[in-house]
Amino acid sequence: MTDEELMQAVCMGDKEAYQILVKQHLKSISHYAYRLLGNQKDTEDITQEVFLRLWTNAKKWKSDKSKLTTWLHRIAHNLCIDYLRKHGRVQTQKSFDEEDFGSLPKTGEANDNGGDKLRLLQEAISTLPENQRSALTLCHYQGFSNKEAAAIMNISVKALESAIARAKRSLREQLAANQ
Amino acid sequence: MTLEEFTRIVDLYGAESARWPKALRAECETFLANNAPARMLLDQERVVDDLMGQLEFPGFPGLESRVLNQPLPEPKDGIFGELANWLLPGESFGKQIWRPALVACIPLAFGIVVANYFSFGVGIENDGFQYWGDELAMLSLTDYTEIRF
Repeated sequence: MTDEELMQAVCMGDKEAYQILVKQHLKSISHYAYRLLGNQKDTEDITQEVFLRLWTNAKKWKSDKSKLTTWLHRIAHNLCIDYLRKHGRVQTQKSFDEEDFGSLPKTGEANDNGGDKLRLLQEAISTLPENQRSALTLCHYQGFSNKEAAAIMNISVKALESAIARAKRSLREQLAANQ
Repeated sequence: MTLEEFTRIVDLYGAESARWPKALRAECETFLANNAPARMLLDQERVVDDLMGQLEFPGFPGLESRVLNQPLPEPKDGIFGELANWLLPGESFGKQIWRPALVACIPLAFGIVVANYFSFGVGIENDGFQYWGDELAMLSLTDYTEIRF
């Protein structure tokens, strides 16, 4: 079944169609939210809310205007940005550093140099402004085109490209400074 | 090509030359061959690209069942459905009192609109105007000199 058929079924209250859509999109939505929020608990809350909105607002999705995944990522983006504005970024950085990356080797006591660099990169990403982190995640990890990513973030393609360029420069500089 | 232009291409498309725009690829490669800072930039970008590819996401165990088993409200029915749901008796005591009263007002409002349309329409006012117009014309033709008191 196509996304359109599944969404029509959801509009009619079909819970099986909802389950199929959850299984199809859960991973990408949770990964995107995780990149923005930086901790597992908030990511799970936001992901749950995204799919609740898919269920309650199914009629608002227009297949001729955007792909379902774009629509869902836009919902996730807006929820994450609202959350970050309410709770600030300090918690996010703390979460990146202390909670969910405990499995990575800590700087200075790494098993290998790659683990150190990975931790540095993770920290560098967590310090990027939300728009840069979001742009980088959508284009690098989620595989959206610049146009789709710009639509998700509700900015122009030019602004998106500028955000990606700044993010990349910042990451390169931070990694180079720590080598 | 300048270093700034090359940097922008690397920022947007990464270190892999196959992902650079076809129209600029040859120019970028020539520039790269003759420019040491560009090569250094590309090396740094390769490191970032490689590391970004290695970053892993947590597995979120239990999230799928949590999302699948969350209580789902009835899907929204559009504006008319929402209106009907709002008008029908609700679960709280306040709504149970208020909503039937509102429902009862609907035929009353409908009756007022219909009665207003049929009973106090523009036609009667026009007739009145014409009537008074005729009256004035008749009065103006009356020869009051013949009236004797």
